[in-house]
Amino acid sequence: MHSRSDAAADAAAPDQTFPVGGGELGELVRRHPWAETSLGPISAWSPALRTATNIVLQSPLPLVMLWGPDGVMIYNDAYSVFAGQRHPRLLGSKVLEGWAEVAEFNAHVLEVGLAGGTLSFKDQELTLYRNNRPEQVWMDLNYGPVLGDDDTPAGVLAIVVETTGQVRAERERAEAEAKVRASEERFRALVTATSDVVYQMSPDWREMRQLAGQGFLADTDSPSIAWVDEYLLAEDQPQILAVIEASIRDRATFQLEHRVRQADGAVGWTFSRAVPLLGEDGEIERWFGAASDVTPRRQAEEHLRLVINELNHRVKNTLAMMQAIAAQTFRSADDLDQAQEKFTGRIMALARANDLLTGEKWVGASLGDVIEMTLEGYSAADAGQCVVAGPPVQLTAKTALSVSMALHELATNAAKHGAWSSATGRIAITWQVSPAERGQRLRLEWRESGGPPVAPPARRGFGSRLIERGLATEMGGTARLEFEPDGLVCVLDAPLAGGD
Amino acid sequence: MDPLRILVVEDEMTIALLIEDMLTDLGHQVVGLAMRLPQAMELAASAVIDFAILDVNLDGHMSFPVADLLRGRGVPFVFATGYGSAGLGEHYRGKAHVVKKPFRIEDLRSAIEHVAFLD
Repeated sequence: MHSRSDAAADAAAPDQTFPVGGGELGELVRRHPWAETSLGPISAWSPALRTATNIVLQSPLPLVMLWGPDGVMIYNDAYSVFAGQRHPRLLGSKVLEGWAEVAEFNAHVLEVGLAGGTLSFKDQELTLYRNNRPEQVWMDLNYGPVLGDDDTPAGVLAIVVETTGQVRAERERAEAEAKVRASEERFRALVTATSDVVYQMSPDWREMRQLAGQGFLADTDSPSIAWVDEYLLAEDQPQILAVIEASIRDRATFQLEHRVRQADGAVGWTFSRAVPLLGEDGEIERWFGAASDVTPRRQAEEHLRLVINELNHRVKNTLAMMQAIAAQTFRSADDLDQAQEKFTGRIMALARANDLLTGEKWVGASLGDVIEMTLEGYSAADAGQCVVAGPPVQLTAKTALSVSMALHELATNAAKHGAWSSATGRIAITWQVSPAERGQRLRLEWRESGGPPVAPPARRGFGSRLIERGLATEMGGTARLEFEPDGLVCVLDAPLAGGD
Repeated sequence: MDPLRILVVEDEMTIALLIEDMLTDLGHQVVGLAMRLPQAMELAASAVIDFAILDVNLDGHMSFPVADLLRGRGVPFVFATGYGSAGLGEHYRGKAHVVKKPFRIEDLRSAIEHVAFLD
C-alpha cells in the first residue's frame, strides 16, 4: 500500500524506520522536518528522546511531550483529538507559540518540569481556540519531567485528559438539584399556607406516603398501608376504591366527595382531588392530592333536605286536613250557601292557627294565645261579652291546632245560636291546672249564659264530633257538651303533655 | 265484604274523623281511635280488631312499633301517610301497603280489600 508520494517522502527521510508504528502521529513524526527545529534531524536524536517519543506514540492516553527549553511538542493520536484544528500544525511547534492563549500557564509548566518538579491539576479550567473560536474547557493535567541522556530533565511529559463533558454534566446536575430544592421549598410553603389536607400516595395507592391533616384529619408522617381503614369507613371503601382504580387505570385526576374519619374520631365529609405525577417513561411515579373539609356544607345540605321533606309532609298533611274539613262540612249540609260559609270559616281558623304556630316555629303556643287568636274578630268578644281566665299553659303545636279548631266551632255556634247571638249573653272561658298521677291535668270550661233558651240539637254535627271525639282523643281525655237551659257548657278534662 | 273491626291511628283530628266516616260508609266499624303513640300501642296490644290503618308520624313519633305489635298479633294493616312509601323506615319499605294522603274513599277500600284478604 505504499503510494508514490510515500516513496518520495521515504527517500527524503533517511531514518524512515523511526519511530515504529504510532498511528497517524507516528507517520507524521517520521516525515516531520525536525532539522528545522531545535531538536535537530531525527537521525541525530538522543536515545532518551527516541525512547520518550516511542512511549508517547504507543500510549492510548492523550500524551504530549514538551522537549527542550523551547518545549517543542511531540504528541500522539489521542492528544490530536483534543487539539482539534490545531493539529497537525501543533506537531514540532514551541508550546508557548502553539498554545499562545495559555502561554503563561505552559511557561510555568516548563519551568517546573525542567527543574525536575511535577504538577497536577484536576478539572483545570482553560479557554482554548483549538477550533477558531473560544472554548471553555476543563482538563485533568499531570506533568512530570523526562530525563535526558545525562539524567537531568530534558523535557516535560503531560497526560492531558479533557473532563469538559463530566464537568458540564456535574454542573447541570447541581443546577437541577438546586431547582428541585427550590421547588420543594415552594411546595412546602404551599402546604403550610393552604388549609387543605395535602397527601401523597404510591403509584397503586396501596401505600400512603404522607398526609398533612391540617387538624381535620390525623397526620401520616411515614408511609402506611393501613390508611384505608384509618381514614375511610368500611361501608364506603368499595365505592371509593373503585374510583381510585379507574383513575389509576386512566392515569387521570382522581376526584371524589366522600366521608372520612376525622382526627377527632367523628365522621366528616371531604372533597378530594389527586393528580398522578408521571416519570419520563410515562408510568405513574406517585400521586399528589389535596382534600378540603366540606363537612359544614354537607351538614347544611342534609339539614335542608330534612326541612324540605318535613315541609312536603306538612303540605300533604294540610291538604288532607282541608279534604277532611270539606268532606265533613258538605256531607251534613242542608244548605249549600251555609255550608260554604262554614267551610270558609273553618279554613280561615286553620290558617290563623298556622300563623300562630309559625310564629313559634311549630314549637307550640300558650293556651291563652290560642283562645285570644281564635276569638279575634268576633264583635261580641270585643264588646266585653267574654271572660277569659286561667294560669299559663303551654300546648304542643298539634294540640294547639286542635284546640283552636274546637274553639272555632264553639264560637261560631255561639254567634249563630248561642250566647253571642244576643246582646245580653256572656261566655266564660276558664281553666285550671291540677296535679295528677303523672304530671298535671287541665280542666277547661266554656260556659255560655244569658243567651236565648237552649235545647239539645236534633242531630249532632261536625262541630260536636270534632270536640267530643276528636279533641277528646287528641288530648287523651274527655270533652263533653252539655246543653243546659242557661246556655251551652263544654268541659274538657285531659292530662297535659309533658312538653314533647 | 264482611264488616271489619278497625283500629284507626291518626294524629290529625280532622283526618281521623274523615277516615272514621269513610270506614263507616264502607260498612266497617271503627272500634278504636288513637292519635298518639302510647294510646296506639295500648289499643294495638289489647283491642279486638281485624284491621288497622296507621299514620306513620304521630306528632313526631314513628308508628313502626305499633306495626310490629300488629304483625306479632297477625292483624293486617296499611300505612296512610303524606310521605308516601318513601316515609316508611327500612324495616317496612316495600313490605307494607301504603295509602298516600290525601286519599279517596275508593283508595281506602281497595287498600283494605287488597291487604285484609291477602293475609
